[in-house]
Amino acid sequence: MKIKILIELIFSVIVFTLLSACSNTPQWKYERTIQFEDITPLGIAKKGNFLWISDSDNNKVLKTDLDGKIIETYENFDRPMHIDMDGDNIFIPEYGADTITIINANKRTYLPIQNELDAPAGIDVNGQDYAIADFYNHRIVYHTNGEDLTFGKKGKVNGEFHYPTDIQFANNLIYVADAYNNRVQVFDKKGIFKQSIGEEDGMNAATGIYVTDKEIAVTDFENNRILIYDLNGKLLQILDENFDKPTDIIINNNKFYVINYKGRSIAVFTIE
Amino acid sequence: MTLAFIPTFAQKTTYDKVEVQVDGLGCPFCAYGLEKKFKELKGIKKVRIDMETGLMKFNYPSDKMIDIETVENQVDKAGYTPVTTTITRINGEVVASVNEEEMIEKEVLKNVDKTSFAVRGNCSMCKARIEKAATSLAGVGVATWEAETQLIQLEYDPEIIDIKEIHKAIAKVGHDTKKAKANDEIYDNLPPCCLYKRN
Repeated sequence: MKIKILIELIFSVIVFTLLSACSNTPQWKYERTIQFEDITPLGIAKKGNFLWISDSDNNKVLKTDLDGKIIETYENFDRPMHIDMDGDNIFIPEYGADTITIINANKRTYLPIQNELDAPAGIDVNGQDYAIADFYNHRIVYHTNGEDLTFGKKGKVNGEFHYPTDIQFANNLIYVADAYNNRVQVFDKKGIFKQSIGEEDGMNAATGIYVTDKEIAVTDFENNRILIYDLNGKLLQILDENFDKPTDIIINNNKFYVINYKGRSIAVFTIE
Repeated sequence: MTLAFIPTFAQKTTYDKVEVQVDGLGCPFCAYGLEKKFKELKGIKKVRIDMETGLMKFNYPSDKMIDIETVENQVDKAGYTPVTTTITRINGEVVASVNEEEMIEKEVLKNVDKTSFAVRGNCSMCKARIEKAATSLAGVGVATWEAETQLIQLEYDPEIIDIKEIHKAIAKVGHDTKKAKANDEIYDNLPPCCLYKRN
């Protein structure tokens, strides 16, 4: 009898431990801040051991090492915003020029766009496919199979936008930082609305987004916060220290880089 | 006869240089957007806003003789809050505005009352606009609005101005108060970051 009770007790402890481990979501923990002096970062991309940063106030794009040491500077953009890397190409939405500039080594070309943009604020590129947050047109341009699909219009209901600023397609879905509706909207690749995330969480300008196969991270610009959700939209974590007007975010190799626009810095987090 | 063969050259356009000190820049998406929209206006060339200093610069054809009022109206319409404006003409003449608060001959506030009330807004651009709307009125001294509390703190002389007029002046620039609601069109034209949630 005693042995039976002991076995049941051990079994319960094992089950409890396993369940606890499963429900324990990885938490992000502050690691360090990379401080800049002469640049005002807004967008970020990463490849290997290098960061690419758009300095929109000074109309530059910079390549730095992981400590923020500037390696290369590209100039003469017109307000470069949320940039993206695909292969060796850097895609730069130029907000003031309504163009997407591509840099490959020192060569500059322009992404041919079928639809006229009005202040492109963010881009995500994957091979021949790309998605653009078309800020003043309150819509998304999604290019796939050689054709443009556009969706959205100005408004507050599901499927409408109030100045989209950043975008990513992942997990076979399109995720949009719907900045002044203070939420993330999720669409399928036909532009059909699937989900709204974060509307109840008091965001004030959802300016940047990054999505992995587990998490959605959003920059809450005016409140100086980062909100982390699971893919179902459940709020997992709120980070509210070490930010000063965050505009963009990237997650790579268990590191989490947040651009502090006003703070002129990058806050780095790691998995606890 | 020979004169007919003398080539004529088109007169080169010259430009006045305009500098406007604007208040409340904080959100790059709005500031650059306004810069972009300003650039699209007829005649305006080379618009640039320095986010750090709040200085907006552009060129305008000299023959149009643009004046301070026109510039400030346009800046206002674009959503910025102008503080001071300087136009340097092509001949070197400089025309400068006076700070609007200084322009108003403020009577000495003999009966200073302090009050506060809720004003809806979001950001530093809202702050600049709300405070300017209040302090531009005769009879209002200090006005400080904070986004966190959504409250404006005021010093005013009730013998010079009725508090309702202050509510109205703030609503007139797009911000709802308890006693005055902004016109929908004015609200819709606020820069994106200023579009607070309406009740």
